[in-house]
Order: sequence, then C-alpha cells, then structure tokens
Amino acid sequence: MTDTFLEFNVRKQFPGFELNCQGAFGSGVTAIFGPSGTGKTTLLNCIAGMLSPDLGEIAAGGRTLFSSATGTVVPPERRRFGYVFQDAALFPHKTVEDNIGYGYALTPPEEREIDLDHLVDMLGLAPLMDRSVNNLSGGERQRVAVARALATSPRLLLLDEPLASLDARYTGAIITYLKRIARELEIPMVYVSHSLSEVMALAQDTLALQQGRTVAFGPTPTVLADPAIAAIADYSSLENILEAKVVETGDGRSTSLLKIGDAEFVAPATDRTPSETVVVSLGAGDVILSLDVPRRISARNIIRAKVREIHDVGDRVLVYVDIGRTLTVEITANARDDLGLREGSDVYMVIKTASIRMMT
Amino acid sequence: MNYTAVFLTLQVAAVATAINLPIAIGVSWLVVKRRVRGRFIIEVLASLPLALPPVVSGYFLLLVLGRDGPVGVALRNTLGVDVVFTWVAAALAAAVVSFPLLVRAVMAAMEAVDERLELSARSLGAGPIRVALTITLPLAYRGILAGLLLGFVRALSEFGATIVVAGNIPGRTQTLPLAIFESVQLGEDADALTLVVVSMSLAVISLLIHNWLLQRTRNSR
Repeated sequence: MTDTFLEFNVRKQFPGFELNCQGAFGSGVTAIFGPSGTGKTTLLNCIAGMLSPDLGEIAAGGRTLFSSATGTVVPPERRRFGYVFQDAALFPHKTVEDNIGYGYALTPPEEREIDLDHLVDMLGLAPLMDRSVNNLSGGERQRVAVARALATSPRLLLLDEPLASLDARYTGAIITYLKRIARELEIPMVYVSHSLSEVMALAQDTLALQQGRTVAFGPTPTVLADPAIAAIADYSSLENILEAKVVETGDGRSTSLLKIGDAEFVAPATDRTPSETVVVSLGAGDVILSLDVPRRISARNIIRAKVREIHDVGDRVLVYVDIGRTLTVEITANARDDLGLREGSDVYMVIKTASIRMMT
Repeated sequence: MNYTAVFLTLQVAAVATAINLPIAIGVSWLVVKRRVRGRFIIEVLASLPLALPPVVSGYFLLLVLGRDGPVGVALRNTLGVDVVFTWVAAALAAAVVSFPLLVRAVMAAMEAVDERLELSARSLGAGPIRVALTITLPLAYRGILAGLLLGFVRALSEFGATIVVAGNIPGRTQTLPLAIFESVQLGEDADALTLVVVSMSLAVISLLIHNWLLQRTRNSR
C-alpha cells in the first residue's frame, strides 16, 4: 500500500509501561502485531478515540482527530470508525437486527454507502435477524459485531483480536468474511492480533510492537521475516491460512482434491461440493522441501514451487515459495545450506494429506 | 386506625423518592460514567446523610428552608409560602436521608453495565447522553428499581429529620413513625401496636420486592 490513510504519533504512560509509537497506515488491511500486554489494544483504542494519548497526533483522511499541541479531541462518535471488540460486545437487550440497526439509524442517510441488506447477506446473517443475541454461537456473535460496525459505513474498521476468544472451528469462516469485506467494501482495516498466522492471512502491512514501541513496520512478508521480531514471534505455530477451491470431494473415499493457487492438493475428505471455496490451514513447519521428486513415498502431495525469498529469523529459516500464490515454509538453516537453496530455486513441496486442515 | 398518618406517610415517601430519582441518576452518571473531576467529594456529600444523625440533617434543612434561610426567603418572596412545618418539608426531610441509599444502588447498577457496550455505542455514533439513555439505563434498570425501593423504605421510616423541620402536626406532617412515637408517649398502646404492624407490613412488602428484583438482576448475568 502506498497511499496513507491514517497517521499517528502516540505517547501514553501507564504504571510500569509506556506506549510510544508512530505509524502511517494505508487503505488496505494493516495488522498491529505483538505479544499480549504490549500496547496493541491501547494503540487501537487511541485511534478509536476511546482513550486519549498523553501526547501526540492522530489524523485520518487528512482530518485531525487528536492533537495534544492544539488540544483537539474528536470524540469516538464523530470519528466514523467501526470497532469490533474481542468478544463482540453485542447489546444484550436488543435483537440481532436492532444491534445492527443501532449505528445505521445514527448514520445520516447521505452517508450510508453500504447497503444494509447486502451487508447482512455477505455475512450470512439473514436467518438470525430476529434472534436474541444471547442465543448465538461465538462465530455468529462475531459476525453480528462486524455487521454492526460496518452498518455505519465507517471510514475505517478497527478490530481487536476478533478471533482470539473464538472456537477454532469458527476462525476459518470469519477470516473468509473479513477478506471478502476488505475486497468488496474497500474499507481500510486495522487488525490487532498476537497470531502470526492471522496477520499473514489478512494483512498487507504489519506494525510489530514490543513493550509499547515499534519494532518493525512494512509489508507483512517483510516484517515477518525481520530478525527484529524473532523475539516476539512464535514461528513454531505459523500456519498458512489459505482459500482453496474444491475440485473433487471425498465421495466415499477418504480424500478430496483442492486447488490452491495453481496447484492441486490432496486433502482430507470434505462434505463441500466441487467449485465451492473452503479455508484450510497448512503449518509452515509441515512442509518438506526437496530438490528432486521423491519416489515411493507415503506423502500424497508433491508440488512443484519456485523459491521467491529466503529469510533467517532467529534460529529458523523462512522460505516464501510461489505456487501461483505465496506459501510460507519453515526449515532449518542446516537444510537451507545443504540444499543450497536460493531465490529462484525450483523445489518440490512434500506435504502429507493430514497436514492440510480444513477450517470451514 | 390512624389512616391519615398512613396515607400521609405514603405520600411523603413517594414524593421524596420521585424527587430523588432523577437527581440520583444524574449524580451517578456523572460520577460513574463521566468520571467528573471532584467525584470523590460528590460521593462523600451524597453519602453524608447516611453517616449523620437524622436530626442533624433535619437541622441543616431547617437552616436552609426556614424563615431566614436562603431557600425559605426565596420561596416566601416568589410563591408566598413557608415550607417548614408542612408535608413538603417532611418530604424533603425523607428525601435527604434516603438519598444515599438510592444513589449508591444506582451507582452500583451503572457500574455493573459493561463499559465496552457503552464504548461500542459511542463508536457507532451515539453521544454520551444517547448512550446513557439507550444502553446504560436499560441495562441498569433492575438495580435502579431495587435502589428505589430501598430509598422508599427508608423514606417511610424517617423520624429525626422530619420532626425537626416539619414538626409533629397530625394531619399535616404527622407521618407513621411520628404517630407511633406520640402514641407510645401518651401510653396509647393499642393504637401504637396497630401502627407498628402497619409500618412493619409496609417495610416487609417493600423488602420482598427489593430482594426479588436483586435476584432477577443476579440471574440475568
């Protein structure tokens, strides 16, 4: 992203901890990444106007929202930023429809750019509209929260770890919805997360924070590979979260065929039908790289790929390979040296069927 | 049976609670949600009548509402009335002593409303007043109702402040507690007992409803 939508320079003192960071976010999805307690939510709340920094400036779309120098403070209700809390924070005394309609009703008609019916449709909420919000699953609650925030046609959508308190089975669906929203509605998003996998799946740019300070900022693949974040990133659980098109389904067999990028993968059986899109996760550490096609091997997936980038991060090596889309693979430095891998190398990815986990 | 005293007491307590309610809601909102400067002082002042002997509260009321007091003079000049030794003074006395109970319950009820719900509403375009009316109050109403009842019960039983600023005038300011006091003083035991039974019934009914409301609040979490 080269355009700048949100600029900020924020300092806030807490007992034992100081938030002190600057940034310029573009109009796509930007992640604020870091371990718990590092100031991510504080920064998000400053941007939203729910907290005021001690010092600094915040401006969006050329409009100053906060300035300690001039004493300007625009309250949250006038910033036109949507906010999604970690556990939805739906109004318990209202139905799904009334929750979504709350902000919509407060938005001047001439500013209602997003069509409410289209929004409800996009998030699959039509059958839930009359329900009390207290009878919804975690995934449903989060979708309602997103719809409620978008109903005001916000200029920016802020999300505070929306997947953190969700059951694993819902995360794939929510990620798909968020990607769709980013694509179709073209609303800038700021996404706070401590999960590398989520950040990799959703964000074009990433701001990495540690103890209240910026550690790295830039395009996500670059930031992820930045040695500076080795201390705060847990690469061992790094997953590729991927959209896949169903080519063939189980049909009594125990496997299915999925298309990811330009390649076809043998995955566990699914009850989805051909040409449907599903979300799967593939651990970066579950991919074996080989220079030759292995023979007489149990792994069902042997996929040709091109190495695009190789990065040393801590004591591991991240390899970005291209199969029509980018996948992240994690190997040891030893392996990288032994194989003599470099940018442009042709490799084969060896992946077990079971390593491809269905998320939807 | 001294029906006059019973009805007067109910009237005084109802008016006292009605006066207190909007003030309690306003003060609680300022302290709990707006977190205004000086909220510590406000909290102390609001709780003061709880800690003072009621006669002291009555004395201060007398100073303010009396012949030479600021409000007394103002009322005499504008409306030509004296409030002391009327049922209005009795209602004000009951209001002052029962205010802490009501305001503390309202504060607790508002505090219990998840701040993130209110912040969500703000992010959706609602200003602080709209948030208070559409989110905070609807979610706090059971606790507020319970506080109302507590305040009402206290107002029913007010004696010390009432007798100082309103006197013990049968038919005009002689509330149930005052009537019981007089009956006991005069040795009219049968009358006293009847009034005591009425007084206790009112108290028990109110407390039953109050506890039931609190139970509903606890269950709805």
